[in-house]
Amino acid sequence: MFPKIVAFVCNCCTYTGADLAGTSRLKMAPNVRVIRLTCSSRVNPLFIIKAFERGTDGVIVSGCHTGDCHYSTGNYYARRRFAVLHDLLDFMGVEPNRVTFSWVSASEGNKWQEVVNETTERIMKLGPAHPVEAQQEGEAQ
Amino acid sequence: MTQQRFLSHEGLVALVTKLVAAGTQVIAPVRASDDVEQVDYRPISKLDEAAFGVRLPRRPLKELFLPPTEVLLYYRQTKDGVEISEVPTNARPRVILGAVPCDAAALEVVDHVMSWDYKDELWFARREATTIVSLLCNLMDAACFCTAVGLGPESFRGSDVLLVPSEGGGYVAYIVTPKGEALLNDSLAEASEAAFAAAEAARSEARKKVEPNLPSIPAEFSQWLAKNFNDPIWKTLSLRCHGCGACAALCPTCHCFDIVDEHDGSEQGVRRRNWDSCQTAKFTMHASGHNPRATQAERFRQKVQHKFSIYPSRFGEILCTGCGRCSRNCPGGMDLPEIVSELMAKAQAGPEVNKQ
Amino acid sequence: MKELQELARKLLTEGTVKVVIGYEQGPRGVRPVFVTDAADCEKLIFDRRCVTNLATYLNPRRKPIAQLGKAAIVVKGCDARSVAGLIREKQVERDSLAIIGVRCGGVLEDPEGDAELTSETVSVRCGGCEVREPKLHDYLLGELPPEPPVNPRRNEQIAALMKMSPAERRKYWDEQLSRCIRCHACREACPMCFCVQCTADKSQPQWIDTSATLRGNRAWQTMRVLHQAGRYVDCLECERACPEHIPLGLLARFVADSVEPRFDYVASDDPAACTPMGVFRTDDEEEFIR
Repeated sequence: MFPKIVAFVCNCCTYTGADLAGTSRLKMAPNVRVIRLTCSSRVNPLFIIKAFERGTDGVIVSGCHTGDCHYSTGNYYARRRFAVLHDLLDFMGVEPNRVTFSWVSASEGNKWQEVVNETTERIMKLGPAHPVEAQQEGEAQ
Repeated sequence: MTQQRFLSHEGLVALVTKLVAAGTQVIAPVRASDDVEQVDYRPISKLDEAAFGVRLPRRPLKELFLPPTEVLLYYRQTKDGVEISEVPTNARPRVILGAVPCDAAALEVVDHVMSWDYKDELWFARREATTIVSLLCNLMDAACFCTAVGLGPESFRGSDVLLVPSEGGGYVAYIVTPKGEALLNDSLAEASEAAFAAAEAARSEARKKVEPNLPSIPAEFSQWLAKNFNDPIWKTLSLRCHGCGACAALCPTCHCFDIVDEHDGSEQGVRRRNWDSCQTAKFTMHASGHNPRATQAERFRQKVQHKFSIYPSRFGEILCTGCGRCSRNCPGGMDLPEIVSELMAKAQAGPEVNKQ
Repeated sequence: MKELQELARKLLTEGTVKVVIGYEQGPRGVRPVFVTDAADCEKLIFDRRCVTNLATYLNPRRKPIAQLGKAAIVVKGCDARSVAGLIREKQVERDSLAIIGVRCGGVLEDPEGDAELTSETVSVRCGGCEVREPKLHDYLLGELPPEPPVNPRRNEQIAALMKMSPAERRKYWDEQLSRCIRCHACREACPMCFCVQCTADKSQPQWIDTSATLRGNRAWQTMRVLHQAGRYVDCLECERACPEHIPLGLLARFVADSVEPRFDYVASDDPAACTPMGVFRTDDEEEFIR
């Protein structure tokens, strides 16, 4: 089902916020698969690369607001890492709009709804992300 | 027993056109798209796309017979077990035109191991489907040493036909195998005595250009290497080696591979064969964590031993064709003629107590 | 270079060091050399042909070199940054090295060439160099040559790529990376790739395919270059080692150009400086975060 979107979210803030969005019965696009991690800092850029490699069309990465990280400094390190990854993906030809970074706190169920819906709409406009198939073997060029 | 005939330029043009029209892939040295000073083996559709006599192609013919990665089988898990689909083992007919003799010879050298304890269907399917027309080589530089390993720029080894350019156009064609005969039969004329004599002269002239680079490696060298496994020279010779494996990637005779299963989703995947190199740190890593070749000195020793001692003792020839690509590309400045010279000098200096 | 040869001879004969890692004339251009005998010091040279970064040889995994004993290493300013990086990341102890800094006016792009330095022959990384006099050193040799010419080729390539649409850029990188054969020469030649277990070697699970398919190649090259963020010295050993001539320096330079202005950082030859990815500021930019 297009689009396939994977969300890497931190346990303490965004996951709880997403939970709140759910219990509040907020209407959200069904395309986002949520993966819960301990902290946004746990997000290795490799996860995002692998998600695209295996067929997702968009990625959301979300954590606590800066200053509010459960582990106090995780999201500060993550922020630096994401900045570099964001630039590099653009250079390699992955449209920067395919990856959404956000800070969503545990009480921001509404914000999570917006992130999900806006991202889904944006990815629908961008189209499928051309998942990279393993090169067809055959004659060497 | 080779026969010598004559192939005109027009004859070759027509042959290429005919082959391409019949669906046979014709591969020849071509100027590289990313650097016109360099040459790669690439498919052509017309003879004038080929760039003969410009430069040694950057990469050898190896990848046309053993690709850097290839699928061996597909598997799918079902509720009843595992379904396996094998890959086809028939290959498209091909002609390689203008191969360098060291690259052609390498294929025959590797045939030994590919048919040793198991006949590799994929390698031999491609070998059988391919006809190799080599060109007398005049591209030698100081890194070449084909004559030292029993080959030469004029060698027939591994070729179905060897072409020697003739003054005034066209080639004297040495037909080496029935496959070569079958390919060129309709395109050939008789070669005159003069043309043949000139071709023979050209062949021996070419040889003379390489011979000074390294003297012929004697049979005893293989035995000396085996006996001097623990010589401290292995350490000193390999200090600048990064263990990067670029030499193995570019070598026409290196053939080591790794087999991996790659899962795709939860139920299916492929089994692939990928190039590997004994120079990488983990090549001999055991599941226990022990690595018998834990340092670069040991890995480098293995490369020299395999090429110049182990392979000869098993199959009767050196696993090297003297093409020089390893030396030219080494980022650490390793030079195989220099290394072999130093080892041979030590071998000739006489027996020593070489124990660690 | 007399000064260098005399210093090396002195260090070896006095036993201050057991090996001098420097440059010599090889069969095909200048190459690394390991001098253990004072009599061999005349092999040591230093000029615009000394292109390679010798800091790779300080990697503690290279036991045959480590076993030679305390080393003196000849470094240009850029190489000194690699040495500083290795010290900073605890791979090498400062006291275990004698660092021979040599003042440098630029090196050639072609490690086998011997042309004069011009804007076409000089390496793309030399223009605007701020460390022609290496600050990390125990000895500092040579006269300060004039500033190197600027070779604009790489900046022009990056600019041209950034003018393309994402789809065109993707096509460019797909073409380049489909040539990668996963020999990992780039990793082995890189002074900062010293991990005993590389992320690509991990097979349970296999995060990065080892096969030379475009899928695996993209993951490999992207991750390797991301691991250089904040540690990159632009020595271009990876490009020189690559048997497929993939422009790896473009990728790595791009990441460095992203890190440096964002975090106000350039790879430093001061071992005490912190790498930007290991620190943070509470007011780092977050224009890309919703």
